[in-house]
Amino acid sequence: MLNVSPRVREYETLPGLTPLGIPAVAPLPSGESTDAARLVERFGDAILAAGLHHDQQVVYVQPDQLVALVDFAKRDPQLRYDALVDVSAVDRADLPISDHRFHTVYQLRSYARKQHLMVVCPIDDGGDPVAPSLAGVHAGAIWPERETWDLLGVRFANHPDHRRIMMPESWPNHPLQKQVPVGGEEVPFTMTWSDPEFESFGRQVMAAQSLPPVLPPGMNRRENMVINMGPHHPSTHGVLRLVVELDGETVVGIDPDLGYLHSGFEKSGENKRYKDFVYYTDRMDYLSAMSNNLGYCITVEKLLGIELPPRAQVLRVMMAELQRIASHLFWLSTHVLDVSGTGMALLMYATRERERILDLFEMACGARLTVGYMRVGGVSRDIPPAFLGHLEEFLQAMPVRIDEYEAMLTSGPLWEERLRGIGKLTRAEVIDMGLTGPMLRGSGVDWDLRRDAPYSGYENYDFKVPVFTEGDCFARYLVRMEEMRQSLRIIRQTIDNLPDGPHRIEDRKITPPPRAELDISMEALIHHFKLMTEGFPVRPGMFYHGIESSKGELGFFIYSDGSAKPYRLHVRGPSFNNLYAISKMSKGAMLSDIVTNIGSIDIVLGEVDR
Amino acid sequence: MGLEEKLPEGIITTQLETLVNWSRENSTWPLLFGLACCAIEMIATGSARHDISRYGAELFRASPRQADLMIVSGRVSNKMAPVIKRLYDQMSEPKWVIAMGICASAGGPFNNYAIIQGVDKIIPVDVYVPGCPPRPEALLYALDKLREKQAKDSFRTYADLNAPPAPIQPDDIESLETLRQPQLV
Repeated sequence: MLNVSPRVREYETLPGLTPLGIPAVAPLPSGESTDAARLVERFGDAILAAGLHHDQQVVYVQPDQLVALVDFAKRDPQLRYDALVDVSAVDRADLPISDHRFHTVYQLRSYARKQHLMVVCPIDDGGDPVAPSLAGVHAGAIWPERETWDLLGVRFANHPDHRRIMMPESWPNHPLQKQVPVGGEEVPFTMTWSDPEFESFGRQVMAAQSLPPVLPPGMNRRENMVINMGPHHPSTHGVLRLVVELDGETVVGIDPDLGYLHSGFEKSGENKRYKDFVYYTDRMDYLSAMSNNLGYCITVEKLLGIELPPRAQVLRVMMAELQRIASHLFWLSTHVLDVSGTGMALLMYATRERERILDLFEMACGARLTVGYMRVGGVSRDIPPAFLGHLEEFLQAMPVRIDEYEAMLTSGPLWEERLRGIGKLTRAEVIDMGLTGPMLRGSGVDWDLRRDAPYSGYENYDFKVPVFTEGDCFARYLVRMEEMRQSLRIIRQTIDNLPDGPHRIEDRKITPPPRAELDISMEALIHHFKLMTEGFPVRPGMFYHGIESSKGELGFFIYSDGSAKPYRLHVRGPSFNNLYAISKMSKGAMLSDIVTNIGSIDIVLGEVDR
Repeated sequence: MGLEEKLPEGIITTQLETLVNWSRENSTWPLLFGLACCAIEMIATGSARHDISRYGAELFRASPRQADLMIVSGRVSNKMAPVIKRLYDQMSEPKWVIAMGICASAGGPFNNYAIIQGVDKIIPVDVYVPGCPPRPEALLYALDKLREKQAKDSFRTYADLNAPPAPIQPDDIESLETLRQPQLV
């Protein structure tokens, strides 16, 4: 038994991290936590630091004990961290340190105990950083580890499928490493006519040479037929490419090829000020822009340590739930269109209702799709007076519409035939693969972050979390239909309990002053100018926060070095992790069931590829 | 006037070129092909409220062989660029391209390693639509602009198309050189 207080192991034990004058070097846990104590009791010296950091449980562990620790946390009856929801890494090359350049960061989740644990593993580098792979403990680690290898260049030992996942195999670097530039081009209007480089603008036609096709590992081209589905295919919901191995019409193997919409969000975010990245989040999961705004803003606000006025909280919940309905409507219409040829009617009906929600968004913020409504510190503007009346009309009309859709589908034999028993996933499988959202609730895991880890005041609302145990596409369909009804209930409560007051915090260091104030107050003008040109600094530390987006857990991991830009910004896209299940769901099924499964996972490629 | 006075009612005379252009501009079939956020607005344009079929363009074809118009609806990544180029090459002449949104037009907010700064670096573009994303009305306006362009089309343009299409060379794309005003040099 180790005779140290678990929380206070000195940070000097971590070699190379001694300059404590620079808090950004590594955010250290300071508070106490029983789970951390349990891990220290078990692993002793292998734990470098443990405890609470920004009210979040953090454990620093030596790499040689990482797998053992995660395995122990999964099996120990006192801990029961049964799911790995995210893997990322931090490249600390730009921080004033000399070794342990990479920290890999893992987010563990206990569904039974409603706890979250962040595990940080400083890894030795020497040019080729290698971390132990958790694929043997959690299947959900496979894709995020591939992503970490692709974007950050951290190799994972004993990984079953160690390939790049986003960028082409021939890509020369790992783009999220700090020495790799953002890329892109110089903006032409900064140049003059006499600039010699000017000649080359508009003449840079790229070769755009096709890459030679590569047979994914494990596929047999002699015995079976290997076909290519996407990236240009109507039912892949974007630019997803699936390499499918077929025996007759039965799927033998399936290998998703991602990255056709990889847009470098994380790299862009690390080069933007905190306030400027809000607009990028709109373009990630462009079907639920409000939820993305919400997830990002909450994470930054937690790092800033600010509390929001009640009206802002309620407005946020109202918009996020409207967005959930809009996203589910779009999912429904495209899913029906893919699965049954007669779905065009439902697409027209569902987009009609979705347009009403988009009109409401337009009233609130002026944009339909990429809203940018929520800002750090509140929402961008208050809702106009007529908004609530229109929302009321929508609330009156919508339940009838949902019933109509259900009448068209739920009892229809064709719909049932195509969905029931397809893409079955057991409870153990969905937890093991780190799936979230309706994928979890369709397989019998009673988990909703809105209820189990409340944010934005969700604990004040009365709503039910629909759970079905069948684990097939039909169960997931029922979950989403019921979620729309529950969202309507929440919106009703937000209207009834909408408090008066400011719609954003009054701290002029974080939110800009009202326009009218700029004309009369010099101080307001200065604040506005400072905020727009410099942004606001965020105290050093790291934070992971997940919200329940329409697709599942949307998590943001931010590592702040105390400046106005995030040092590391990582997004846990629910579609990305959920899409991993496609091979499990489709193996042994028919080719046409792949289409059903894609629709049932509800992916948005902007979020999968980021 | 002229011949038409002597013809029975219901018969009009026109040039073949005008007739062909008229039919082309009224049934431009887009490629069923979405990339990012703009694709959602493209779908909204196609659905009931905005109703792209008023322009005869509601028939989104999944095969490039049957499509006349490519709406590049979203950001083009380095990995996607060869695919778009191939899809464009597979479309049969005459074909047109709308770069929908700022990402397809010039890279938009994504000035980084992953995104090509404008799809006109790989394929020639007829109409650029600003916006992030453009509203459905903006896309309809772009279709209108495209119709104007189609109406001015001439058979002469396609005279040498019997030869296999050459890959697009850098010089085929309009350079900023042409924008340079003589008095500014």
